[in-house]
Amino acid sequence: MPERGSISLFEVVLFGVCLTLVAVPVPHFYQDVMIVTFIWAGVALAWNIAGGYVGLISFGHAAFFAIGAYTSTILGVRYGVTPWIGIWIGALLAAALGTTLALIGARLRGPFFILSTLAAAEVVRIAALNWTSLTGGAEGIWIAPVPNAVNMVFASRTTYVAVMLGYVAAVYAIAKTLEGSRYGLRMFAVRDDEDAASAAGVNPLLVRAGAMTISAFLTAIGGSLFAQYFQYLDPTHVASPELSFQFALLPALGGLGTAIGPLLGSFIIMPVSELLRSYLGAVFQGLHLAIFGGFLIVVMLYFPDGLAGALKRLGLGRSKGPP
Amino acid sequence: MTTFGQLVLSGLLIGGIYALMSMGLTLIFGVLRVVNFAHGEFLMVAMYGVWAMTALLGLNPYVAILAVVPAMFVFGALIHRLTIATGVDKPHLVLVFATMGLSILMQNVALMLFSADLFDVPPMFGGRSIAIGPLFFRVELLLGFLIAVLATLGLRWVIRSTYLGKAIRATVQDREAAMLMGVPVPHIFLVTFAGGSALIGLAACVMMPLFSVFPTVGLNFVLIAFVIVVLGGMGSIEGALLGGICIGIVQAVSSYYVAPAFGQMFFFIVFLLVMIFRPAGLFGRKGEAMVGIN
Amino acid sequence: MIRNALKSFTAAAAAGVIALLSNAPAGAQEPIRIGVLQAITGPFTKNGTENWVAMQIARDMINERGGIPGHRRKVEYVFADTPTPTAAITETERLITREGVKITAGSGLSPLAIAVSQAAERHGVFHWETAGGAEIITRRGHKYTFQVAPSARRYAEAAVDFIVEQLTERLGKPASGLRVALLWENRAWGKSVGENVRAYAPKKGLKLIYDEGYDQFITDMTAIVQQLKNVQPDVLVAISFPNDAILFQRKSKELDFNVGAFIGVSAGYSNPDLRNSIGGMVNGIFVSDFAVQVNPKALDDKIRPIAEEFFKRYDDQMKRPPAGHASMAFSAMWAFFTELLPKAKTFEPAELRTIALGLDVPQGAMANGSGIKFTNHDWAPDQKDFGQNLRAAVGVWQWQSSGNNQVFPTRLATHQPAMVPLPKWSQR
Repeated sequence: MPERGSISLFEVVLFGVCLTLVAVPVPHFYQDVMIVTFIWAGVALAWNIAGGYVGLISFGHAAFFAIGAYTSTILGVRYGVTPWIGIWIGALLAAALGTTLALIGARLRGPFFILSTLAAAEVVRIAALNWTSLTGGAEGIWIAPVPNAVNMVFASRTTYVAVMLGYVAAVYAIAKTLEGSRYGLRMFAVRDDEDAASAAGVNPLLVRAGAMTISAFLTAIGGSLFAQYFQYLDPTHVASPELSFQFALLPALGGLGTAIGPLLGSFIIMPVSELLRSYLGAVFQGLHLAIFGGFLIVVMLYFPDGLAGALKRLGLGRSKGPP
Repeated sequence: MTTFGQLVLSGLLIGGIYALMSMGLTLIFGVLRVVNFAHGEFLMVAMYGVWAMTALLGLNPYVAILAVVPAMFVFGALIHRLTIATGVDKPHLVLVFATMGLSILMQNVALMLFSADLFDVPPMFGGRSIAIGPLFFRVELLLGFLIAVLATLGLRWVIRSTYLGKAIRATVQDREAAMLMGVPVPHIFLVTFAGGSALIGLAACVMMPLFSVFPTVGLNFVLIAFVIVVLGGMGSIEGALLGGICIGIVQAVSSYYVAPAFGQMFFFIVFLLVMIFRPAGLFGRKGEAMVGIN
Repeated sequence: MIRNALKSFTAAAAAGVIALLSNAPAGAQEPIRIGVLQAITGPFTKNGTENWVAMQIARDMINERGGIPGHRRKVEYVFADTPTPTAAITETERLITREGVKITAGSGLSPLAIAVSQAAERHGVFHWETAGGAEIITRRGHKYTFQVAPSARRYAEAAVDFIVEQLTERLGKPASGLRVALLWENRAWGKSVGENVRAYAPKKGLKLIYDEGYDQFITDMTAIVQQLKNVQPDVLVAISFPNDAILFQRKSKELDFNVGAFIGVSAGYSNPDLRNSIGGMVNGIFVSDFAVQVNPKALDDKIRPIAEEFFKRYDDQMKRPPAGHASMAFSAMWAFFTELLPKAKTFEPAELRTIALGLDVPQGAMANGSGIKFTNHDWAPDQKDFGQNLRAAVGVWQWQSSGNNQVFPTRLATHQPAMVPLPKWSQR
């Protein structure tokens, strides 16, 4: 079972399995599920850096996702800037917003902070919806599906899966490194007892701002990659509160505060919810979602450490240090 | 001038109704320190209840208050027992996500039971309005506003002059100390949550003549409620009333003078400004936002 | 024994040779599988469910008659629920890659239509769009997307033409003197129709004195109604969805905003439930929409009984007459089954595409009065346009106490426009 600061067998095996799934020929539909799962897992990990490590629960991460997606797409489609560069520009813009949010919310804790992230995300969504000349408004923007490596449009779905796997692996590595580092200790300190941390010489504002910035940066990259794969963006589904909830949900279900938590959450929840909808979607209007809602309630109330915590408790690992 | 007057009048009246809708939320926030993300869905459930009373039993929505408010009290108590009580001592994110799950569950059960159709109740006086000079308003708006004010006064009285109110205040100030002093805190939590739900029931009776109900109607109102609660100060009933009126007027005026499309964005901006400059809200206790919860 | 075995073997071999030699393709009696994408959960459920019911009626009716004419193959739908555009893309991909469909149909609403057709085109799958009307659907350089439903442009033009041809004399003002206001909900559909009204109105001599969009989650229409009151239009064209339509009408009555004529465009104003929600207030409202129940004389003899049967079956099942988009969905699928598929041999997208481009179905041959003629980069206003049906029927009907009656164009009309100018609220 993964522990802070060291690579465990579990993680190696998991990575190996993912690599195999990429390399081995797998039916298209499953590749689609993998692509979405990897992207969402990467964003969940990024969210967790702020939410799980520092306690900055955000219900507005869709704003960063959207900024990443729209920036690289607009630059690519309108100005011919290759997404390989556009992605970084989008990430920087999102990071700037992240820093700003952390500064605006410097004195806010708990639900106050959550609501401010929600409000900020709504401002971004409404702006994207109405600033038609920039974003295409409600009709959206799309990328021509002409395979071209420079424009980051690939003919083979396998290439996409590989790129997304690369993304989630990179974010995981970053999260893991942070988790085990001195900076990570400071993050956890601020989360657990801000006053004590302050007394010990940690600057909470810097830690909070830093975490949000990194989190926003990495989330935006996920958004750009999403845009390159789905090739169609519109504010209602790329900048919506529903999306923000999903990004917060996956780490919460998987287990906040650990690197493996968001990964587990995504790898299990994403495919399951796709399957639920595919099989139950036509049966009874809304049944699959009702089941999902009920499941969420039960898990959160009785397994608040999420799946990672539950696995630990089942004795699949020794815990070393705070959960 | 007429225009401005109309905007302020309409904004004021609808704002009072928004406030009534948010009072339950602020009470629950203030006492339990719980963010109830299913608030919109509680409103939806209550609205379906009012519709059922009207359509199936022929009751007037205002008469239905007598049935819906107690029913919502019981409903709230049930939900509290089944879900909230378990999570109240855990880290706050547990209930944040649990109430989100509740929200999804309730929306989709409503979809399964009622389909996506919009339901309405017939308006009073055929929807005609009262005219005061060049300004107009519907009776239902005025009634809703008055009920909101009455509810505010009533709640103030309860909080200030009854034992229950005292116990609630003690719990808000320091729940551990209150427990030590013999206040049955878990019981207070139950009563407050159920009471907050009853308030939502009251709001639904007042809102049903003005709005249609459908499974996702909560989405239209929940963000407004959150903004009002933050603006007014968590736990402050008077704050909710003033906050609601404020939001109602800002929305109407900014929509008119800037653009309807941006009307919604404006009150989020108000919200963010409050967060920056006075996070505890108009009537919250200073520093409350910095303490957060637990 | 061996003799018997030899006999059986010879018989089997002979049968095999005969089967090989005859042209019957393998699985000649296999049903034709069509992927259907509609939203039956989520925010678009209302339209999605009604479309889905209409499409199923089409399938049932064709199968009862022995399947696709000529081939005698039944139609089988493979259904996927698409509550959001993202789900639409994933579900379309699933139907194509896992279920192996080569034909998709749906999808009830513009944002979903855009997403579904995008995913279908990526796989070279033939998509028959039954209700979505945003123009972008046919302007993206797709090869296999065919929009059978009228585009937003047609609704806008119908509304404007109706104003110029029927309302000007009834209101006693020439086109140049008419004050026209435009109000639109700011998602894809509202914007699209709005843009077209804005572009077409000046060509017919009308000018817009008010032009505003608003957010779908709006709860208070005071500012909008007040703005309109101050501007005093003669005619208001509004594109709204059910919830905002109801809010607007009520607020108009409350603030005593009176207008000579009110034209709603589809979505909220064509919803049959509107009468349940706002009662008598609804009478007098014009709706630019799919044709619903057109003048039977406008339909050809073959389709008239089919249309009647559809209306009856829909009403029996849903306890109300079909909304315009449901009627369009049925007409589109029926035409697909009876005009396009009979001509197919391999049922591959490339073949279906060729057949579709060659279709020349006259107006009146489809259940809702439409015809079929698709653009093929040969449309004067926009050479990029491909797959738009220029003969889809759009008209204007009016909510009247006797029912929803078609008043425009004259060819399809069953009644005259009434209540022009609209009586003031105090008199209604």
